[in-house]
Amino acid sequence: MRGIGYRLDAGVRLTSAALAVSIALGAVSIARGSASATTYAGRSPLAAALTVIAGLGLVVAGLTNAAARPSARGCGWRAVAAGILSFAPTYVAWAGGPPLVRSIAAALTGVTFALVLDLVLRHPTGRAPSRAGRAAIAAVYAETGIAALLLALVRNPYLDPSCWANCSVNSFLVSSHPVLVRTVDFADRWFVAGAAAGLLGWFATRFARGSAPARRHLLPVLAPAAVIAAGVIARAVTLQASPVEDPFYQALFISFVIESIGLTALAAGLLYLSARERSARRAAARVVTTLDEAPEPGSLESALADALHDPELRIAYRVSDPDGYVDPRGWPVDPGAPASSMTITRLARGADTLGLITHRGAVPDLDLQFGAALRLGLENERLQAQVLAQLNELRASRQRIVEAGDRERRMLERDLHDGAQQYLLALSYELRLAAATARAADDGKTEAILSAAIDDAELALAELRDLATGIYPAVLADAGLAPALRSLADEAPVAVEIHTERSRRYGSSVEATAYFAVAEAIDDAIDRGATAVTITVGDDDHRLMVALADDGAARTAPPDRIADRVGALGGELACTPGECRLSIPCA
Amino acid sequence: MRVVVAEDVMLTREGIARVLRDAGVEVVGEAGDAPTLLRAVRLTKPDAAIVDIRMPPTHTNEGLVAAQTIRAEHPDVGVLILSQYVEPHYALELLQNHPERVGYLLKERIFDVALLIDALRRLADGETIIDPTIVSRLVQRRRQSDPLAELTPREREVIELVAEGLSNRAIAARLFVTDRTVEAHVKQIFAKLDLQADTDSHRRVLAVLAYLRAT
Repeated sequence: MRGIGYRLDAGVRLTSAALAVSIALGAVSIARGSASATTYAGRSPLAAALTVIAGLGLVVAGLTNAAARPSARGCGWRAVAAGILSFAPTYVAWAGGPPLVRSIAAALTGVTFALVLDLVLRHPTGRAPSRAGRAAIAAVYAETGIAALLLALVRNPYLDPSCWANCSVNSFLVSSHPVLVRTVDFADRWFVAGAAAGLLGWFATRFARGSAPARRHLLPVLAPAAVIAAGVIARAVTLQASPVEDPFYQALFISFVIESIGLTALAAGLLYLSARERSARRAAARVVTTLDEAPEPGSLESALADALHDPELRIAYRVSDPDGYVDPRGWPVDPGAPASSMTITRLARGADTLGLITHRGAVPDLDLQFGAALRLGLENERLQAQVLAQLNELRASRQRIVEAGDRERRMLERDLHDGAQQYLLALSYELRLAAATARAADDGKTEAILSAAIDDAELALAELRDLATGIYPAVLADAGLAPALRSLADEAPVAVEIHTERSRRYGSSVEATAYFAVAEAIDDAIDRGATAVTITVGDDDHRLMVALADDGAARTAPPDRIADRVGALGGELACTPGECRLSIPCA
Repeated sequence: MRVVVAEDVMLTREGIARVLRDAGVEVVGEAGDAPTLLRAVRLTKPDAAIVDIRMPPTHTNEGLVAAQTIRAEHPDVGVLILSQYVEPHYALELLQNHPERVGYLLKERIFDVALLIDALRRLADGETIIDPTIVSRLVQRRRQSDPLAELTPREREVIELVAEGLSNRAIAARLFVTDRTVEAHVKQIFAKLDLQADTDSHRRVLAVLAYLRAT
């Protein structure tokens, strides 16, 4: 579909170019001939050159723009039309030319300004920026159309005291109405001047509010438009004082020069933007060649950002598991609604969205110039992001499992403390009561049995207490890692030396992981016949580090249970035969 | 003797109160949490408060915090912490600011009437009480180079009793020797272990416990 569209466009572009050139040539010959006194172009070769450069410049810029920016093609075509119609005033003055051509040219004279205003308001997206903007565009077209229609129907050039370029021909005349003509002329002139003034005010606010990159993009179009608006206002003021549009009247000629320079600058601005966008796209297309053989996740994003000089460029890849968008490193992102100066370009394969590129609005239709290599690179990075997203999810779930386990342990310890231990205490108390009663009754046999029961109950209490501490030591939650490790050392059957630089608190899962890792390491050291274990705890604000050394036999296998626990929190364990070092990220 | 009991498990609290009453101790207040305990202490000015280390709302160290408050506000009121934890850290924390008239006992001791009455009397005398289980765990700690090996068996006995908070006189009575003999032992022990603390003050309990823990 797009291919056919392009070919159609190519045909239309060629036709428009040919048409514009012939109209321009015609205008020059009219101006140099019969209309040398009645048109600005006829006043001097310089004025003619100015007219041709402005008109054809707009046509060329418009055609370039329409080709480069399919989504904002409307702007390009408006520029082409404005360029062609800028020759209309010369054809009005074609003495001896076909009356119909002169009449049509007269009716179309005002359309150039309406088109320029429309084009500028739509820049750079091709869409009207707001409801007010759309209303303004519609109002200007409507006024231009109504004024042209009224003047065509009631203007009798013979009876018009202010006629100059054409005082003889109006093919559409229905009935003469000199007063109405004067009123419409007056109203039209000031409406257009008012629209031009409004345009100037709108530029000022839009320019002031825009970000620096947005301004760079607006300036090439807004500045020429402001010049055109100034020319239009100057002409309206001059004509109010002297209604005959005589090109040899100096003030009028100056306003013509201003307008023509504005139109030429607008053409140049549009060409400049097209060229800049094209070079940006070429840079994007070349991105892949700058990448290594096995690029890091996110290198495509930064390469693209470099190529487009857009540090805020972000790529969000569409993934299915977990469902949503992720950045190149696999972390969930919400591409959502971008800032007003940013644009989202959708990367698609058929109907499927592969990802969204959020980038500066300066480069519309970014994906058009993505070559096959870049597309392949993007798809590759998307697959990588999908895997990383799953990996992140897996890590998070592993951590949640460990944390849930710790929570369970803690609750179990509390349950033992508040339940079984309390009942055992009550039991031991009641056994003592019973023993005292037996003693009072001089029942030595029963008292002996009860005394044995009291001893058993106390043994059970002691066992239960050690069990509860082994499950989750209360001091770990209350006072932190260092005191808990000291208690672990107090109870250990081998000499355990604890070195801590400072006693600070970490997250509860970090503390629990370090604690149980140390407990595991002590058991492991005992299994290998160690008599002394040295534990060193330190941190560097980002990681908790624990070194475990002992004098036992060399390890035959890596301590998997420690590695599993530490790994679940995103930590690392490195073991040499005599020492293990673990580090756990901590905030 | 007048005592306030604070313990959140009602079964245990009533058991303690009953043991105390049976032993002729007057229970002037019962509390299930720290604020109630502090109110009861302010109102009744007891000789001692018996406090569970773990109480609502967080069930962590409310008892220890309340003990510090009582010791700071009412220097005449002794505090006996009851705990299920053989945990030197808590005992040291209890001794940190106010080392006299405080005690840390394992909960099951409370039902041994003789031991309980003895503990309350020692608190009234201004002594410190540390549960023997905690002391013996610290003394028996495995050490790579054990400075306690330099002590004679008798000196080891003495240092354990010092760590449990006994005064020289109480140690003498326990070991059937004279006060002066105990004094000599203590001086000898402190010199051997290079302990700087005053051999007679309440601070010596803390110094000995900290020493046992650190070496």
